Amino acid sequence: MNQFASKIVRFLLQTKLFWGLAALYLTGVFLSPVNHRGVNIFLSPGNQSDVLRQVSNNGIIAVGMTLVILTGGIDLSVGSMMALGSVVCAMLLTQKGWTNASILAIPVLALILFLLAAYLVPLLSVNLKRSARPVEKPSRAARWWGVGLGLAAAVLSIFWTTGQLDQKFGVFGVLCAVPAVGLSVGALNGLIITKGKMQPFIVTLAMMVAVLGTARLLGGSNTAVHPVYTGSNATEHFDILRALVFQIVPVPGIFFLIAVAIFGFILRFSTFGRYVYAIGGNEQSARLAGIHVDQIKTTVYAIAGMLASLAGVLYTAQYRQGKADAGAGAELDAIAAVVIGGTNLSGGRGSMTGTLVGVLIFGFLGNILQLKNIDSNTQLVLKGLIILTAVLLQEGQIAVWWRRIRTRLTRPDASSLDQLRRSEQPETDLKSIKK
Amino acid sequence: MTERSLQMRGISKSFGPTQVLKTVDFDLYPGEIHALMGENGAGKSTLMKVAAGLIDEFEGDISVNGVPCRFLSPREATRAGIAMIHQELSLVPELAVDENIFLGQEKVHGLFLVDRQRQIAAAREALKPLDFRGQADQPVSKLRVGEQQLVEIAKALVANARILIMDEPTSALSIHESERLFQVIRRLAKEGVAIVYISHRIEEVFALADRVTVLRDGRHIATIAAKELSRRELIRMMVGRELQEVIASGKIQTARDRPLLEVQNLWLEHPAPTPSRPKLAERVSFSVASGEVLGIAGLLGAGRTEILEVLFGLHPGTSGGIIQIAGQIVQIRSPVEAKGHGIALVTEDRKRDGLILGFGIDRNVELPVLRTIAQFGLVSRPDEIGLADQTIRDLHVAASGAEQPAGTLSGGNQQKVVIGKWLLSKPRVLLLDEPTRGIDVGAKAEIYRLIENLAGQGIAIVLVSSELPELTLLSDRILVMREGRPTAILERSDFAHETILEYASPGGLIQPEFEDREVA
Repeated sequence: MNQFASKIVRFLLQTKLFWGLAALYLTGVFLSPVNHRGVNIFLSPGNQSDVLRQVSNNGIIAVGMTLVILTGGIDLSVGSMMALGSVVCAMLLTQKGWTNASILAIPVLALILFLLAAYLVPLLSVNLKRSARPVEKPSRAARWWGVGLGLAAAVLSIFWTTGQLDQKFGVFGVLCAVPAVGLSVGALNGLIITKGKMQPFIVTLAMMVAVLGTARLLGGSNTAVHPVYTGSNATEHFDILRALVFQIVPVPGIFFLIAVAIFGFILRFSTFGRYVYAIGGNEQSARLAGIHVDQIKTTVYAIAGMLASLAGVLYTAQYRQGKADAGAGAELDAIAAVVIGGTNLSGGRGSMTGTLVGVLIFGFLGNILQLKNIDSNTQLVLKGLIILTAVLLQEGQIAVWWRRIRTRLTRPDASSLDQLRRSEQPETDLKSIKK
Repeated sequence: MTERSLQMRGISKSFGPTQVLKTVDFDLYPGEIHALMGENGAGKSTLMKVAAGLIDEFEGDISVNGVPCRFLSPREATRAGIAMIHQELSLVPELAVDENIFLGQEKVHGLFLVDRQRQIAAAREALKPLDFRGQADQPVSKLRVGEQQLVEIAKALVANARILIMDEPTSALSIHESERLFQVIRRLAKEGVAIVYISHRIEEVFALADRVTVLRDGRHIATIAAKELSRRELIRMMVGRELQEVIASGKIQTARDRPLLEVQNLWLEHPAPTPSRPKLAERVSFSVASGEVLGIAGLLGAGRTEILEVLFGLHPGTSGGIIQIAGQIVQIRSPVEAKGHGIALVTEDRKRDGLILGFGIDRNVELPVLRTIAQFGLVSRPDEIGLADQTIRDLHVAASGAEQPAGTLSGGNQQKVVIGKWLLSKPRVLLLDEPTRGIDVGAKAEIYRLIENLAGQGIAIVLVSSELPELTLLSDRILVMREGRPTAILERSDFAHETILEYASPGGLIQPEFEDREVA
């Protein structure tokens, strides 16, 4: 019976994150105002759908951030990459010909397609079946296939994108080109960190500033906002990205959930995922086990960059404008969500499910405060407190504090220490010991 | 009888499900040197961490000089006069000697300004009786390990420590430095400081201790005056088995056919070269046949570890030489390439380099060979568990299961996991760097037998060790290094410890073929 109880306690502790989310959800139901028809506003389909929409940008960035943090790194540049993505996306959608955005995006897309094929095809060729030996090199044929396919893809993409220039980019066009830009910037982050042996914090901080500058330069001026009027200055189809599926599920939310599913699956079941955890657990040990540490880390930053710029595209669709301050503070929100989700900032410990819950907690909290009409500055204070509390609970530090207080109260003689200091050190008598 | 300096009664402590101390009693008298012995994982360090306030959650009672205490932090223990010096020293390398000694209790004028002059003078005063040979205003990182240890002791004495706990203090010291440390310890004991000396080196205990307490599996086995104890009896108490079992069989000369690994003129750049030491390693040439064990002997810093690191591709760009495996010249620029050529490296510091302590055995052993259990890049969970179980079974790892975190295993079992992880990659060449460092007698014997077995299976083994008995027991030949250069390759018939030391010591002998050819 006792064992059963302790099993339950352990289960509850392991799943405390979900209980936190559930408690928050119930609080929302309880506190929510009720409209004139007696419907609980918090529970209304429209509100739930709104929450999913609101969290999806932060969520998509947090997915990439989870990977980065699991390797023991950090990416501060994702907010700026989202801004860059937003500006590039809006410009591609609304401007014809060779603009700053298309001059950047077209070659980058071609380059990324080439590199991806040249990298992935040989990699896949050796991963199709189990290798008998711990290290297996891709065959020469596979390498040439990769290069060949890459060249073909690059050339085709150039024809295709330049073909679109005289009538502006479509939805599919921006969904390919913009993430490619983010991917390349993220990969650059990773290359500088691994090859330059520099701290991720510093490298991505520098990149955060530089990329924000790039986004502003591209846009023409500091405060330039690029309105996207679908149907007039941009393709009507772009509205798909802000639509509701079945009138309830927002498309950005679907992007978010798919990202969680794909990268959660990869983290949990793939060799890549194992390597990500191993690098965060002990990078030196992973390197000495003959793991391509630099390659894995670069990939992780590239993924983070790609997802951040994808969030930029969704932002542009959502707010019908591209602007350089789109991602202000997005990196911090994403880090907060990841950390609330129980992922350890020093790496090696955490999960994508945790991040999903963390993002939802963050979103529902904001929603509840909004519904209660709480002043936005107060909201910030409360959010800060919630982050601290969540992390304290995650780390189990509160239990330690409680135990120490208890010991302090119950230890034999609280004044014994002072007595000791006052007491004379007794004279030594070696002979008596030797007896 | 005098009052006990430290009295511990019924101390119990668990980490999760494993109980590491089971109602242990311990007494310490002023002025005695009390050796605390036991295999790794016996609970020696844990018991002393309880005394030093590093562990605050335990059962049992402690009293210091007859006053009951319960420490919640090392600071409280320090106030009660207890200081612990850890295996890994806890000095701040960038700070000077005096700054380290007075860290947290700086000598100041006014409120904040540190009075360095007064502090340096006081540090010199404190270090004088310790036979310290460095400068008191030097950064600690510039000192040798032996001197750093003395700084730690001075720090404890300045804090008025009357109980000094030393956890394996000689594990990084040369014989000479250890001897100096012993003299300091004896002098302190004469002045009435009570000393707890944790060690697994049996010789040291007989040279130093007044009394010996043996722990095994978290239990108190015995406390006996050192004079009344025989070596054999002590081992039996520590291991719980008879002595014969723990001595490996000894080496039978392996037939040497064509070399599997052949190294010519290996070198490694020195980050800060000096005229006396232009390279960390140079002109290193040797060969190892399949099934052969080549030992590499030398003093600390002779370049032994560096040879293994170059062979494992850890210094691309700053090293060179011709490496042949099975007659083919190979380039090794990274651990990945080394692994591809069938080379495996078991590093010296298994906690820092070898294992991911928070991960289970399964997540550790699979790392070098993950590709062999994955299809479409997806890992097969049953195969993952299978690899861990295979390691646990083949190497007799004492573990509760495949998912037990590596950090909770004892030192010997951790080492088995590190070796096991590389055996899964079916290596042709196994590089072992101090494979039995910090491992108890019983596990040592098992590792020895394992090395013999692996050689028997045809793996070429390069073994670096600071323990000469280990080298002479296991090796077919020994390469002796001195200051980055080889000085001799000895056959089994020349394996006398004195001979090896003669070739290893600066200014000692050198075999003719290793003499400086440019000069001649």
